Amino acid sequence: MASTAPATNSKDGLANLSLNVTAALDIEGTIPLESVQLDGLVVLKIIKHCREAFPATVSGQLLGLDISGVLEVTNCFPFPSSKSDDENELDVAKYQVEMMRCLREINVDHNPVGWYQSTYLGSFLTPNLIKTQYFYQQTFNNKSVVIIHDVSRSTHGNISLRAFRFTPSFMEVQKEGKFTNESLQKNKLTFSNMFEELPITIKNSHLVTALLHSLNEYEPLPTKALDKDKVEVPLTPNFDMLELSLDPYIEKNLELLLDSVEEFGQEQSNLAFWQRSYAREQTKIQQYMQKRKQENQSRQAAGLEPLPEEDINKLFKLPPEPSKLDSLLITSQINNYCKQLNQYAGPTLGKLFVVGELQK
Amino acid sequence: MPINAATSALNLSFSPATTTGFVIPQSRSFTVTVNPVVLFSILDHYLRRQENQDRVIGTLLGVRSEDGSEVEVRNCFPVPHNETQDQVAVDMEYHHNMFELHKKVNPKELIVGWYATGANLNQWNALIQDFYSKAVLPFQAIHLTMDTALKNDEKLLGVKTYVSAPIGISGKPENCLFLPVPCDVKYFNAERSGLDLLASAMNEPSRTTSLISDMDNLEKAILTVQEMLERVADYVNKVLEGSVPANNTIGRFLMDTISVVPKIDKAEFEKMFNSHLQDLLMVVYLANMTRTQLAIAERLQLLV
Repeated sequence: MASTAPATNSKDGLANLSLNVTAALDIEGTIPLESVQLDGLVVLKIIKHCREAFPATVSGQLLGLDISGVLEVTNCFPFPSSKSDDENELDVAKYQVEMMRCLREINVDHNPVGWYQSTYLGSFLTPNLIKTQYFYQQTFNNKSVVIIHDVSRSTHGNISLRAFRFTPSFMEVQKEGKFTNESLQKNKLTFSNMFEELPITIKNSHLVTALLHSLNEYEPLPTKALDKDKVEVPLTPNFDMLELSLDPYIEKNLELLLDSVEEFGQEQSNLAFWQRSYAREQTKIQQYMQKRKQENQSRQAAGLEPLPEEDINKLFKLPPEPSKLDSLLITSQINNYCKQLNQYAGPTLGKLFVVGELQK
Repeated sequence: MPINAATSALNLSFSPATTTGFVIPQSRSFTVTVNPVVLFSILDHYLRRQENQDRVIGTLLGVRSEDGSEVEVRNCFPVPHNETQDQVAVDMEYHHNMFELHKKVNPKELIVGWYATGANLNQWNALIQDFYSKAVLPFQAIHLTMDTALKNDEKLLGVKTYVSAPIGISGKPENCLFLPVPCDVKYFNAERSGLDLLASAMNEPSRTTSLISDMDNLEKAILTVQEMLERVADYVNKVLEGSVPANNTIGRFLMDTISVVPKIDKAEFEKMFNSHLQDLLMVVYLANMTRTQLAIAERLQLLV
């Protein structure tokens, strides 16, 4: 993160100079985001919405403010799940406007700061996400994040929330709209620097803290606890993490990984096809040029006007270079799955050995 | 409410304010479960109230069982209202708009009642209750109160739920009896981890917390188990020594727990353990390999 901060600042030297002055009052909005702070309410609302819609992926709007590098998300509302395309989009826009108006009336921060999306095992890198996040970051002066909530991982006892935004170099490339080798080179864009992840902290209001303490005071009565189907008392220790059925998770992850690798293979063959046809066209052009030159030479020798050489571009069409965006996304996704597997493997190994010790 | 005519006649002598402490036997069991997100929303709404406002109200959304005796409150939204000494005004249009919007996202959630902050019930509660009762016919509207002022004896955010019954011979909207009903906080597995995370900020002076990795979480869980085992061992030892009287319920519990531990043959276990370990190591190895390949590809791309 530290490395990207100066990069965004140095874009306009003026902002850099007055940075110290405006640090206290971020009027111009020049201080880049460094972390995301979620309200407890937002966390629960996101979880609720995503769980209810599972396994479909859903999204919603985040509302809040950014204060000196910290994006404070204080509220959110869900988007209606998409059914059809065109009319639905209009509907969603109307819904959003209505909702914002209503929330303003009850003193909720009505400033959109990003959006959230649910995902299944970290498979969130889709062209759709790119489109939406690009739109958000462009509209809100790079101060917008997407929060990814992984429902399937959260049931393993540890909640999975991650905040992402595009790096400036990705924004640059996306702005140009072409993902060719050349433009990727120019901006030094690879799969690992498409996104940057922002650290998330969670803050509770005083009243919420009081509520949590109140929930904690609930003493379970022995007679009640004997009944095993009874709802569990809030805030009893959570042992989901000690769950020993490890295989389904790894299996699913590997399945998804295989799918991605397959897609990647397809992208590669696409690229190879393009390269071949490109080379073919190139040789054709060269042949044509040579022929034209010879002809011209012979015409010159005969004392005739040389034929023009400009019309090659009209005669031959070089196949357009395929967009590298998809392959970028897929590599990023593969990387993600591998990371997830590694992350999961650590605690799992630990658990295995614990069980091994227990059995002795 | 015709279903409760008998009960209300029985309790005619109680004024609404005094019924709070009683649990009145219902003609049918009536239970309310509340999702924590509702409580959080109410508190957030209370924090964002207008400057001169003492309390806030809003609509509760949720689902109910077919006969209406079990209500699950899943969601809520605030409704602006204005309250003075001699009149109360609730923004009905806002209520309808917001309900329509919520219906678009989750059509299953219906109006089940309303909430208000503050522990006291007054004459306006009866009026508003009358409005919500009409909105949820033929079921009963639930009224949920939260004591945000922490004025009660235990200094807790007392969450109480009520249903209402008409009172008097000619049913006037401003006369009604609030009957307390039991209320539980209930959440789903996925919400559990979220709530745990929030709870970890409970004892921090800064009221903030950050996400922890799976590894740290596992460590925490194991430590908790250890602590619990120690406590149980301590208790059992004390009982054996005779310094603490034995409790049959606890004994039965311990028995249950111990009987759950599966007995596996040692050789069998060894086999299972090793094959699992091998699988896992293999997967990790392959994953690392893939990542290395990707990293190499990335470098190459930058070099070209």
